[in-house]
Amino acid sequence: MKYPDNIRDLVLLNPDYIGFIFYDKSKRFVAEIDEQTIKDIPSCIKKTGVFVDENASVILDYIKKYHLQAVQLHGSETSDTCLKIAESGVEVIKAFGVDEAFDFNQLLPYLDSVNYFLFDTKTKAHGGSGLTFNWQVLEKYTFSKPYFLSGGLGLENLDKVLAINDDRLYAVDLNSCFESEPAKKDIEKLKLAINKLRPILKETESMSYNVNEKGYYGDFGGAYIPEMLYPNVEHLRKEYLKIIYEPKFQEEFNQLLKDYVGRPSPLFLAERLSAKYGAKIYLKREDLNHTGAHKINNTIGQILLAERLGKKRIIAETGAGQHGVATATVCALKGLECVVYMGEIDIERQAPNVARMKMMGATVVPAISGSKTLKDATNEAMRDWINNPEDTHYIIGSVVGPHPYPDMVARFQSIISEETKWQLKEKTGSEYPDYVLACVGGGSNAIGMFYNFLDDEHVKLIAVEAAGLGVDSGESAATTALGREGVLHGSRSILMQTEDGQVTEPYSISAGLDYPGIGPQHAHLFKTKRAQYVSITDQESLDAGLLLAQTEGIIPAIESAHALAYLEKMKFKGNETVVVCLSGRGDKDLATYMKYFNL
Amino acid sequence: MNRLHQLFNTKEEPLLSIYYTAGYPDINSTLDIAEGLEKAGVDFIEIGFPYSDPLADGPVIQNSSLKALNNGMTLKLLFEQLKELRNRVSIPVLLMGYFNTVLQYGVPEFCKACAEAGVDGVIVPDLPMYEYEELYKDCFLDHDVSNVFLITPLTSEERIRKIDKLSNSFIYLLSSSSTTGKNLDVNTSSEAYYARLQKMELNNPTMIGFGIHDHNSFNKAAEFTRGAIVGSAFVKFLDTPDAINRIPEFVATIRK
Ligand SMILES: Cc1ncc(COP(=O)(O)O)c(C=O)c1O
Repeated sequence: MKYPDNIRDLVLLNPDYIGFIFYDKSKRFVAEIDEQTIKDIPSCIKKTGVFVDENASVILDYIKKYHLQAVQLHGSETSDTCLKIAESGVEVIKAFGVDEAFDFNQLLPYLDSVNYFLFDTKTKAHGGSGLTFNWQVLEKYTFSKPYFLSGGLGLENLDKVLAINDDRLYAVDLNSCFESEPAKKDIEKLKLAINKLRPILKETESMSYNVNEKGYYGDFGGAYIPEMLYPNVEHLRKEYLKIIYEPKFQEEFNQLLKDYVGRPSPLFLAERLSAKYGAKIYLKREDLNHTGAHKINNTIGQILLAERLGKKRIIAETGAGQHGVATATVCALKGLECVVYMGEIDIERQAPNVARMKMMGATVVPAISGSKTLKDATNEAMRDWINNPEDTHYIIGSVVGPHPYPDMVARFQSIISEETKWQLKEKTGSEYPDYVLACVGGGSNAIGMFYNFLDDEHVKLIAVEAAGLGVDSGESAATTALGREGVLHGSRSILMQTEDGQVTEPYSISAGLDYPGIGPQHAHLFKTKRAQYVSITDQESLDAGLLLAQTEGIIPAIESAHALAYLEKMKFKGNETVVVCLSGRGDKDLATYMKYFNL
Repeated sequence: MNRLHQLFNTKEEPLLSIYYTAGYPDINSTLDIAEGLEKAGVDFIEIGFPYSDPLADGPVIQNSSLKALNNGMTLKLLFEQLKELRNRVSIPVLLMGYFNTVLQYGVPEFCKACAEAGVDGVIVPDLPMYEYEELYKDCFLDHDVSNVFLITPLTSEERIRKIDKLSNSFIYLLSSSSTTGKNLDVNTSSEAYYARLQKMELNNPTMIGFGIHDHNSFNKAAEFTRGAIVGSAFVKFLDTPDAINRIPEFVATIRK
């Protein structure tokens, strides 16, 4: 791949890998492709560098420069070279040209140093010949390591690929037969191929932690909405990926994140806290963003999207007021009308944020139905959208709501883990921490913090819910502990409810965690056990807030203090690396801290 | 053939259907109201089962749902009450509510309970077409319970065709995209919408709902479709003294 527009079209097909050839004798050599174009590829698609007998140090430089996640080695690289590269944390795919005489025993030394083999047609020119090899020789391959199949795969022989009944066949590598010219993919042809391969692609899809094309994460997600919302949600679903991967959009988004929000947010080694817990504890400082929390990453993304959808009026729901403030902020920035729904009770307990929204020109409408908190504010916002379907965009504040919202918000928040990876690598030499922790209300800061680690199974993900006065006290917001599968606000997820399916009122001292559900992706991560869901009480979170203030000079939001509080319950061995998402700052919570600690 | 087909196939005059919430104003008023509506000449009824988060509803039905829940109404209790339904009422009956309650009851159990109670159809506005088709359709068909879909002026022709194919009693038209309880707007754009629908020659009859509250709006609806459904206006009326005995009075404000 080397043409930016072509790369972006390909991204929309959502392949598992995209390859870039860094071999200067190839007619597909990328030469000096714009770094940003490659970096902008969402990390759920593995950016793969293809090399032939390149120096390991040169390969490592490319990995760093382009944020590569995998390499394909097509020359006579040794297993030592492979190992050296693998140690940098990328996937290594070692390619071999196969013919009838191929001796599979030569793979033995590589078993411990590569992730996958790739079997290609043997040629003098290191692949890319457009010819297939006789796949029957694969019967002689006896190791369990999964492999890529390559060499001459085209629409006409994919049926035969489907017939290969081998669990180790992990991926197919489509190249020359799908090009309209060297290094330029024929997108329509690829669509046909993907459809054809669908039966075998299914299996890996069910293992994926990301959304499928129907809007589901395993059993969760979907779009459970009345017909009145369908046209808007469907329009969004059709357009969101196209819009957010437009170069102009990316450019403006990145610029605003940098100059307006103040990104990248620092990754700070909290030394005194580290010493206390016997681990290397890094804080991802989302609290230093403009408006004081991670919420703005999402509202910047969505306001740019709303502009491109031609919408003139913005609505939002808010609990603590952080998302409401972040929405009012971007509306002021772009000169769009802004209406924020907020539970009547939350309006009382979060007065400073109400004032901020008003000062920036937003109208704050009290939600007086039901329990008068976040859940009801969300209902009111959805009702507003039903009644104003044409000029209005609804900026949902977390990874909840009907598809595509959970996925869209996750993509905007994924900047948190994207930065964490390279920042950690700069500081420690490895982009992988042992643990990642974040608090969960709807789950947007947690998904942002987990997103780029989802497929790195050795990174343990811990999501911290609010236990309120205690999980069994009847006053709690610990959704996974207390909830069952159900449908709320347009998606199927896990939900706190009565036996009859009435949504119950959660409780937490932190208004931002006071929500009876979690996003569908969290429900999936919970059910598949990819992430561990734990809970922290009001008291434990307040104590952790005080501790951070006194050991590091940082006053956290009470939401974020829930994540910090879990450190107290962990047992670290050696000097493990931990990243905690400090999702917001504590200014808004001062009144609560004052009350509890008699300040 | 269920009672709904019978009705749509035989009656020529404009049809009137009325919605109310089970367990409102009193926990035991469900069947008394049904009987009163039949006696007042209503053609079919929709009984709402309450949900804590009724997103498609305006303040009036939000309020009746909340009251019903506070009165102790559950889907289980409703089916218990409906055991007497066919001893007291013979016009078609639909249940209307949100999907989470149905999901917790169990979709197959729900369809079975509807069939046993003599319920002819259901309206679950937040059950998506895709999920209905893939997961639940057979269960509804096996029990001869019609699932009724909504369409709005913004629903595309392609989607309307698909809804027509999946429907087997009638299609519920909204006069504009709105929550319940807003008054019907009869402006030129909605007339164009009705005309567009008439031209499509759908297989299923249509009824207009949301916002019908008086003679005018009822007559307007009946000009373009088989009739209309009244909800919020009746629920509001139920809040007046001795309402259950005065149902004919209410019906006369809609249809002479
Ligand atoms: C600082 C902070 N952290 C976390 C949350 C919880 O939201 P989410 O789970 O979507 O990150 C909020 C919500 O208001 C918040 O303000």
